[in-house]
Amino acid sequence: MIASNRIADGTFRVGVGLQKAWGVQMATAFFFGEAGAGLYFVAQFFDFTLGMFAGLVMVLFGKAGGHILHLGQPLRGWRALTKVRSSWVSRGLAAIVLFVVAGALHLIDLRAGVLPAGVSQLVAALALAACFVIMIYQGFAMSHSTAIALWSGGLMPIASLTYALLNGVLLTLVLGFDAPFLAERPDTVRLLQVLAVALMLYGLVTVLSLLHGARHASEAGRQSVALLLQGGFARWFVPLVIGVGFVFSALMMLAAPPDFAWMLAVAGLELAGYYAFRVLMFKAGSYDPALSLAYRFRH
Amino acid sequence: MAKWGMVFDLRRCIGCNACAVACKQENSLPDGVFFTKTLSEEVGEYPDVTRSYVPTICNHCEDAPCERACPTGATYTRPDGIVMVDRNKCIGCGTCIVACPYDQRTRLEPEMLKEGLFGGGRMTPFEEQGIGRFTVGTVVKCTFCHERVDAGQLPACVATCPTEARIFGDLDDPTSRPRQLILERRGRQPLPEKNTNPRVFYID
Repeated sequence: MIASNRIADGTFRVGVGLQKAWGVQMATAFFFGEAGAGLYFVAQFFDFTLGMFAGLVMVLFGKAGGHILHLGQPLRGWRALTKVRSSWVSRGLAAIVLFVVAGALHLIDLRAGVLPAGVSQLVAALALAACFVIMIYQGFAMSHSTAIALWSGGLMPIASLTYALLNGVLLTLVLGFDAPFLAERPDTVRLLQVLAVALMLYGLVTVLSLLHGARHASEAGRQSVALLLQGGFARWFVPLVIGVGFVFSALMMLAAPPDFAWMLAVAGLELAGYYAFRVLMFKAGSYDPALSLAYRFRH
Repeated sequence: MAKWGMVFDLRRCIGCNACAVACKQENSLPDGVFFTKTLSEEVGEYPDVTRSYVPTICNHCEDAPCERACPTGATYTRPDGIVMVDRNKCIGCGTCIVACPYDQRTRLEPEMLKEGLFGGGRMTPFEEQGIGRFTVGTVVKCTFCHERVDAGQLPACVATCPTEARIFGDLDDPTSRPRQLILERRGRQPLPEKNTNPRVFYID
């Protein structure tokens, strides 16, 4: 047996090392980013101002707040705007700034009608485009890190987009339950419910494909997947991310009566599963042993 | 302009970690921070078992993923190939840490700089004089002891290694010792599949 197959966390041994740079604060920021941007994205299609406002607030305070709490030098955070050409973190921050400014302007314009028609459409389009970037860039920021096999799969941005849209649909169903565009249009409610179930199934397949890819990518990927499905994180990942986040919430949505409490429960379960996904993907991320070449050299 | 690099001779390394101690002393590294480590690994099955040692360090990659991922430009490569972190630009986001395939970066947490290495809840005068080079919340890593290299000296770990398992020199110079060792003994880079082109090589 070779020792490098084990997780050698923080020790002076060759082995897989768990990443600790990104933790719960970063996961919380990612959670609010994708939930808020997804909500705004879906709500804007219905001109649902409460949903758009809630999405904007989630991104502004939840996402930006989580990132500020995470930073070692938060007062210098503005510097992260300076490398848009090469860094996904920079691109994300630029999108957040654009989203908050354009989104707020669009909301004011919806209420007060202060902008000329052409400018109003441009602002709405900018807000939507920036919102879309927020929905996917976190996935790109993670998959860009080839150091961590669990994250580096190409499906990570797709998982981000799927979760963001799913969060957006569910939160719209909850926040807009009594709003005219849903209360007076049961066909729209049904359409959003079907969309939610489809996104849950798509998300489930995406997450399983991510794990499948990571498992066969490298030793660290194999260890990460083992941690999530059989090891220390399995008691959280399997029931929360897979069970509650996808399967149970999809079944509940399929059987959903026109009831607010039911919608709230489905959204709550899905969001709990999504938050667990974000936290556990960070916790289980691991580096390959820098060198089990010693072993390979000799054999 | 030289392109500095290092070669680790795995046959010579005895796992004494004198390099790690010299590094900590030279760079006044706080508790829990290592710019270099010598890892150990058991190989084989009973009764044919042996232990090998694997020195690790920042590989000062030619295509450094940490530099590409850094959102502020705090991580940069000097003309001589040494990858550096500008502590005045670093925001401590940790993106470089998760981008480095070799796990060779550390963010300085406040508690690391509060207590010294020798107990009693305070630092020795030696530790206090060294702590000024650090900024809490920023990321630190090996710099090949750039001040020493600029002054024509070897990095502290290389100068200290009792078995000459660490060989430092100009990788662009065909006559340099590391370059010759890489050619003669088929030096290999760590995790070549990551396409980072490290300037650190291992020979066995």
